[in-house]
Amino acid sequence: MTEGLARQGVDDELTRLREQLAERERLVAEKERQLEAYARDLNDTFKKERARTQELRESYVHTVRALTNAVEARDPYTGKHAERVAAYGLELARAIDVRLADDPQSEMGFLLHDIGKIAIPDGILYKKDALTPEERALMRTHPVVGWEILAGIPFLEEARKVVRHHHERWDGSGYPDRLKGEDIPLSARVFAVADALDAITTDRPYRAARSFAAARAAIARGSGTQFDPRVVEALESITDARLEQLRREIG
Amino acid sequence: MSAPPPAMSDTVLIVDDDPFIRRLIATTLEDVARFELQEAGDGIEAIERAAEAPPAIVFLDIDMPRLDGIEACRRLREDPRTAGATIVMLTAASGDEMERAAEEAGADLFLTKPFSPLELLRLVDSTGGDGARP
Repeated sequence: MTEGLARQGVDDELTRLREQLAERERLVAEKERQLEAYARDLNDTFKKERARTQELRESYVHTVRALTNAVEARDPYTGKHAERVAAYGLELARAIDVRLADDPQSEMGFLLHDIGKIAIPDGILYKKDALTPEERALMRTHPVVGWEILAGIPFLEEARKVVRHHHERWDGSGYPDRLKGEDIPLSARVFAVADALDAITTDRPYRAARSFAAARAAIARGSGTQFDPRVVEALESITDARLEQLRREIG
Repeated sequence: MSAPPPAMSDTVLIVDDDPFIRRLIATTLEDVARFELQEAGDGIEAIERAAEAPPAIVFLDIDMPRLDGIEACRRLREDPRTAGATIVMLTAASGDEMERAAEEAGADLFLTKPFSPLELLRLVDSTGGDGARP
């Protein structure tokens, strides 16, 4: 009889424990479902955030491109020079350091490099004859003017450096700051090669466009004087077919 | 309602016997709207907190010890100090008898567990912190 009671007691205790365990399991499952709901929302929010960032980045580039087009509209000879230089520049940047190519400011700097030219009078900008020393001095203010135009815009801080230094030369004989070697921002050194590449391979009023091969040879001659040898080397790694394709895409 | 609504409350009262849920809601709402966050672990505690600082929004779990959410909701509605609050019932499943009972007790909205944190945030955002019912 006592044994039966004891047995009953153990059974009751077991049942109680089982119920307690089941209740705990139910609570844990509830928490898991709740955490899953959070994870789903986080995933959703992340995807939206990523799409918005992409959208924002694109609208920055579009705005910058519109500004660039406004500058180029004044100069019928260069046409889509800035867009081609930006494409060549990004290709070079990719060959040197992917981070440089991925930084949206690199492209913006390439596109905006001549923004300062909006302050140069038409008479000088369009002059067919050689510039007088005074006119040349005024023309050479455009990097600093551009740099000042873009002051106070945090998302263009890096791009601004290209604008200021795009006429510096590796040997220190460029302007406006006569920076030398690696003191010149890398993006500006990359730009210098891209700019020469496009200038040589585009029709100008005073001479016809030349081939990519001719441009490569001319740029190679400037390696270590006008251009950073590392960037010249990067150009060697890009095929004519690729350069041709980039040019065609811009039209 | 004859009772005047409390003036511009900026308190959100979170009532659930599960500290995990309270913590989760509080963390989700932190620094999002200009609300003061208060917590309570059961219906009795909820009534006490609400009387001290009349809330703009109350998140109210239904199944709690001492005093359940339905009864707590009824009492909050009866007290002129807390009658104007937006009461959001936290339910385990939607559309059941429990919801009807909660509606009769004066609940405004239902948030079904497991709830979406974005829904929770939108709900609080839509109340804007001025205690107006959404």
